[in-house]
Parts: sequence; C-alpha cells; structure tokens
Amino acid sequence: MNSMTPKLVVEGLTHYYPDEYTGESVHALEDINLELYEGELVSVVGPSGCGKSTLLNILAGLLPYKIGTASVDGNVIHGPGPDRGVVFQEHAILPWRTVAKNIGHGLEIRKVPQAEREKRVQEFIDLVGLTGFEDKFPHELSGGMKQRCQVARTLCSDPVVMLMDEPFAAVDAQTRITLQEELNRIAMATHKTILFITHSVEEAAFLADRCLVFSARPGRLKEIVEIGIPREQRNWTNMNDNAIFIAARDRILASVREEVSIAVEE
Amino acid sequence: MDRLWWHFQQLLKIDAMNLVILVIVVLIGWTIISETIPNPARYLPSPLAVSLSSVDMLVKGLLPSYYSDTLVRLIIGSSIGLAAGIPFGLLLGLNKTVADMFHPMMNFFQSVSGIAIFPIVVIWWGNSDTTVLAVILYTSFFPIAFNVLSGVREIPIRYVNAARTMGASKYQIMKDVLFPGAMPHIATGSRLSIGFAWRAVIAGEMLAGRQGLGWMIFTGQDADRTAEVILGMVMIGLTWIILDHYLLRPIEADTIERWGLVQR
Amino acid sequence: MTTAVGNLSIAIQRRFGRQRLRKIILGSIPFAVMITIWHANTVFEWLPPVFIPPIGDVWEAIFFLQEDCAGFVALVMLDNSCLITTHVFSSIGRVILAAIVGLPLGIAFGILCGMSRTLSKFLEPVGVFANSISGIAWIPLAIVWFGVGWVTTLFIMLNTIFWLMFFNSMLGVRSVAKVYEESVLTMGGSRWDVIKQVYLPGAMPSIITGMRMSMGFGWRALIAAEMIGGDSGLGFMIFTSAAEFKIEEVFLGVIFISIIFMATDKYLLAPLEKWTVERWGLVWRPT
Ligand SMILES: Nc1ncnc2c1ncn2[C@@H]1O[C@H](COP(=O)(O)OP(=O)(O)OP(=O)(O)O)[C@@H](O)[C@H]1O
Ligand SMILES: [Mg+2]
Repeated sequence: MNSMTPKLVVEGLTHYYPDEYTGESVHALEDINLELYEGELVSVVGPSGCGKSTLLNILAGLLPYKIGTASVDGNVIHGPGPDRGVVFQEHAILPWRTVAKNIGHGLEIRKVPQAEREKRVQEFIDLVGLTGFEDKFPHELSGGMKQRCQVARTLCSDPVVMLMDEPFAAVDAQTRITLQEELNRIAMATHKTILFITHSVEEAAFLADRCLVFSARPGRLKEIVEIGIPREQRNWTNMNDNAIFIAARDRILASVREEVSIAVEE
Repeated sequence: MDRLWWHFQQLLKIDAMNLVILVIVVLIGWTIISETIPNPARYLPSPLAVSLSSVDMLVKGLLPSYYSDTLVRLIIGSSIGLAAGIPFGLLLGLNKTVADMFHPMMNFFQSVSGIAIFPIVVIWWGNSDTTVLAVILYTSFFPIAFNVLSGVREIPIRYVNAARTMGASKYQIMKDVLFPGAMPHIATGSRLSIGFAWRAVIAGEMLAGRQGLGWMIFTGQDADRTAEVILGMVMIGLTWIILDHYLLRPIEADTIERWGLVQR
Repeated sequence: MTTAVGNLSIAIQRRFGRQRLRKIILGSIPFAVMITIWHANTVFEWLPPVFIPPIGDVWEAIFFLQEDCAGFVALVMLDNSCLITTHVFSSIGRVILAAIVGLPLGIAFGILCGMSRTLSKFLEPVGVFANSISGIAWIPLAIVWFGVGWVTTLFIMLNTIFWLMFFNSMLGVRSVAKVYEESVLTMGGSRWDVIKQVYLPGAMPSIITGMRMSMGFGWRALIAAEMIGGDSGLGFMIFTSAAEFKIEEVFLGVIFISIIFMATDKYLLAPLEKWTVERWGLVWRPT
C-alpha cells in the first residue's frame, strides 16, 4: 500500500498566529511532515492547544499558511475546495435544510443533475443509518444523528481526503461508541483517506491505522504509532482484549501524558 | 392565503362582538361630543357628517383616486426599497471586515428619520413625485438593509466555512447560507421598512403637495373641511391595520417561526 | 522609537480592547470616505453647491445662525435670538415634556388595562387603531384644533408616545403569569402590592422596549410635525431653510437631528433596555 503516491502531503509546515496584544506571535505548529496514503485513517492526538485544529484548518484551506507546503493529490492547497471534506466538531449542517438537502448540498454546489444527486444522497443516507430521516430538519435530530448527517454530507461530495476535527467530542459516551464503530464500518466500505483529530487516546487507537502524537505547543510530530489491526476485527467487544490495541493505546497514552505534563509545567 | 383566511375567521369569531360594541360606543361618544361643542363642522364633525363627506368624495371619484395614488406610491417605493435593501445587506455581510465596517454607518442612516431628509430632496427635485419617492425609498431601504446586515452578522461562521469547504462560490454562500440564515431578520426588517414607508408616504404627500391621502387630509385642513380630514385619518388607520395585522404580521410570525425555530 | 510606538499601541489596545478598537476604527472608515467624497464634490463641483453645500458652509452656518447670540451665557439662558440653540432646545424641550407626561400616563393606563382582561379586550382595538393612524396623520386635525405652533407639535409627539407606551405596557402586564398575582394576594397583599410587586416588574422589559420604540417613533413624528404644523424646532428650521434654498442650514439641521437621536438612543435608551432585560427579563420570562 505504501508504495502508492500519497494523497495528502505536508512538508515543513510551520504556523504562527499573530498575538492579540503584543504583536509577538503564538507558535502553533513547528515543522510538520506527514503523508496520508489512499484508504488510510490517520488520527492525530496531542495535548490541548498543541495546534491540532490549526493543522486541520490549514488543510481545509480555511486558514492561510506561509511556511511549508501542503498538497492534496499533488495540488498545493490554496483555500477551501471540494477535494477536501471537513467534519466539524460542532455540527455545521445548515439548520434550514432538511437532512437530504444538507447531504446533497455539495453536489448541488457543483451543479450535479438532480436525478443523480438524489440517488447519491439516498446511498449515503442509508450508509450512515439515517434512513427515514430524509425530510427532517437538523433541530429534529439528536446530536449523534447530526454528526452522522455531517459525515454523510462530506462523503457525498466524494472528497479525496476527509478531515475530521474531534467529530464525536460533543456527543454522549454511549453514542460516541456507536459512532466510532460506524465510522470504522464506513471507512471500510468507502476506502476513504481520513485524517481524524481527537482528544481521546482510546478513540485514536481504535480507529487509526497510524496515530500521530503531537508534542505540546508548538506542535511537533513527536511519535508515530502503527496499529496493524484489520478493520473487520475492530469493534468494542473484541478490542478490549486485543493485545495490539492495548499495546498501542498504552504507548500513545504514555506519550501524550508526557507532553501534557510539559504543557502544565509551562 | 390560507393564513389570511384563518385570521379573518378568527377576527369574526372572537373579536366581532367586542368590536361591534366598541365601534358603537365610540360612535355614540363621538356624536355626543360633536353635538355639544360649538362649530362642530370645524372642530369635530359628527360621524354622520364624515360618512356624508365620504359619499360625496366617492361620487366625485376623488377618494378612490387619492387612495390608489397613495397605495401605488407605497407599493412602488417599498418594493424598490426592499428589492435593493435585501441584496445590499447580504453583500455587505459577505465579508466580516466589510460588515463590521459598514454596520455603524448603516445604523446611522437607518436612525436618521427619513422625513428629515425631505427638505434636502425638495431642494434637489422640487415638489415632485420624485421627491416623495426619494423619501419613501430612503425610509424603506435603510431599515431593511441594516436588519439584513445585522442578521447576517449573527450567522455562526461555521456554516459559512462548511459551505466554503464544499467549494461554494461567494454567490452560492449568499444564496444558500446568508439569505436563509438572515430570514427572520429579513421578515422583521421588511415589516419595519414598510411601516416607516407608510408614514413617509403620508408625510411626503402633505409636504410636497402630491395627490393622495396625505394630501387629502392636509388640504382638508387648509380648506376648513374637517370631515375630509377625519375621513382620511380613518382610511389611513384602517389601511394600516389591514396591511399590518392581516398581512405583514402573520408573514413575519410565520417566517420567524419557520426559520427561527429551525435555527435552534 | 519603534518599540515606543509599539508599546503605546499595545497599551492602547489593552486599555480599550482589541475587538472594540478594531470595530471603532473600521466603522469610522466609511464616514471618513463619505466626508472625503463630500469635500471632493466641493472641490470638483460634480454637483453644484446649491445641491450639496461645501462642508465649510455647513460649519459656518452654526455661527451664522448663532450670530445675534450673546455668548455662552445666553446659550444656557435659552436666548431666543440664538437660532440654533433655540431650535435645538425647543425640540429637545418638547421631547422631554412629552416624555415626562406621555410615558407615565401611557404606562399607567397600560397597566390598568392589562390587569383587567375584559377592559383590555375592548381597549386593545382602540390601541391598535390609534397606533395605526400613526402620529403624522393627526397633524392636520391637530392644526385645526390647536393652530400652528408648539401645542400642535407637542400633541403629535404625546399622541405617538402615549399609544405605543399604552400598548406595550398592556401587553407586558398580560404576559405576567396569573400565579404571581395570586400568590401575592394569598399572602395578604393588596391590589397596590400586586401592581408594585408583580405587574410593574413583570412588564418592565416590555415597558422599556416600548419606551425605546416610542421615543424613536415620537422623535420622527415630532420632526414631521414641526415641519408641517410648527413654528420652532429643528424640523421647522430645516423646512424653512429649504424654502429659502439655504441647503447648508438644512444639512446642519439634519445632522443635528441624527446626532441627537442617535446619542439618546445609544447612550440612554439602549443601555436602559439592556439593563432591564438583564435585570428582570430572565427572572420574569413571560409564560
Ligand atoms: N485564531 C487564533 N488566533 C491566535 N491564536 C490562536 C488562534 N487559534 C488558536 N490559537 C492558539 O494556537 C494554539 C493552537 O490552537 P489549536 O486550536 O490548534 O489547538 P488544539 O490542539 O486544536 O486544541 P484543542 O485540543 O483544545 O482543540 C493555541 O495555543 C491557541 O491559543
Ligand atoms: Mg481543536
């Protein structure tokens, strides 16, 4: 798999935010290098404030960057584009559109004919398990359903890579577990390339093929943990006795702990 | 349309009795007063005198012509105002910096009473229809544009970002995110705009001396035909009640209910 | 040198808040541009000065209109020969008078009618109708009754304020839950206690909103009334100046009108509304 050309390449990415008052700047990211290959799910964990969201916003094209390069499929990222789909932490599905219209929004923007659009939309509604809720409005959905809707919307545009920023952080624990298993199933079914940012070490270890651990601010790539568990075997009933999972999880946890203590000492 | 009919039925059902009693009481009180004061024809003509004058004006065809003049002015003025104000507010709201930049200025213009600019435009265009139209346009454009802009500024940025990551153009963001997101404000602003425009029409007609209801009550006062003045006032009041309570308010409430609820 | 400037800028940003500073600076740009264009018009004469007066003329109009005025003392003493101050003060005076009389009256009647549902059923249509006639349409009748002059203008403003206030207070009182009234009564409170402790605070947010609204509408109506049926005040001033084609005086008057209105709304009424809503709005959310 790794012999293919990578879908997402980041080289030497460094980012500073200009500071509110002093004109000095916050050093958010330092020399990030990473490659995502087709069909891979890579998670990013790190202490709070280490620049995870910054990285994602840069990749989404929502935040302009100056140092380093980032490219998708060989195209350097300048601003947002349909080749990258984003799932935001807070649900960002439009409240005045029905579930089906939200999911088809990306296709509508690209002027895909209605018949084809409806077919695709239905396919993804079924995939994320929202069948029967096509004509509901977001305020009629639970938090977990909103996130499913957002995932479906992103998938429906068929992006080259999918970027997810703590998508399951705002839902309750039980729903989160279900959503994680669903995402695993979706990743298996669609073979999407996914960059998945999370706070939760368990979640990262459960979902990822590779887990990137970031250092405390400025965010550097500290360690990469490979988790070679086939997707079919990933579900919460098995995982807790899976030695590879436990080893990977403990390794990531230790690594993050170290960084958190550094962040606290600062 | 259903909504209108519903309101009409409500009116008939609940308020009809009260309303009839009320109208009778008011008419009796009014008659008594006008019978007791000296020179009622000048100071307070009785309801009978007012209805006679309305018959008179109807026969002469003046009332329908004044009425339609005023309504046409309101419709033309406020539709141009709204048609220009809504896109203008959305355009200013497209970019946060631009929005922050123009917000105080739009606030300034919307709080300048439109009637106050009458003396300026009357120097530009004289006592003409253009002058009246300019005043109406001014009074209806700024409240709606300001409200739309305020509404757009309240839309969470993540909705715009989500559309951007799907490759939406500026126009698509405006059409799919800003316009629906500002819908409750558009409804409120439109009602406000039309309300101000209505007052501006009346005042403008009085000041510029263009034919219409405002002109009718103003000349009525000048020519000592107070019955016509009162007739005109009643027409003005009734028209606005019908317009506001049975058209604009239901539309506003519907829109806020539909689009506001949806946003929660 | 640069660090000194930098430090100063940091200090200023700390003092006023970066976001607020940004908004103030951004917000003043369009005004600056507008004034620049205005001035450019004077220089290049795209539109003749009879249509758009030079800024300098508007500025000088202040002194011209104030010419016979005997200095600042006279300004305070409401000397009638100072045109600007006369008009400004007579407008403001009417606003204050109308507010002092109209607001409490409207609130009192509104609360009384709000308390009795039968009464309010009858008086609500009256309020709706009176509000619909809008201040301006009363002007001709007021002229018939009171003649051209300050009584007419005061009447128009009072009329506008009263009905809006009446209506808002009534709706405010009606939105107060019945249980509060009953609880005060069962504890042995009198009617007066109910008004003081239930209706007045309960209707407060609605009353204050009505106040802000009625001052806005009242001010507009007053300007119109002064133009049509007045003999003093800013509205009268701009109207007569326009008749004499003194456009610089018209501009001056309009600017005064806007500034006075904006200032009262922004620094008096809006904070008052915000404060009341925060103070009572949450506790007394209408049910
Ligand atoms: N718009 C901004 N302007 C200035 N500084 C910012 C901005 N956004 C983030 N930062 C700073 O950059 C650093 C990284 O922020 P970022 O949001 O990327 O962290 P994160 O890893 O996503 O944290 P969390 O896990 O809490 O979401 C933080 O110290 C933050 O204070
Ligand atoms: Mg984050």
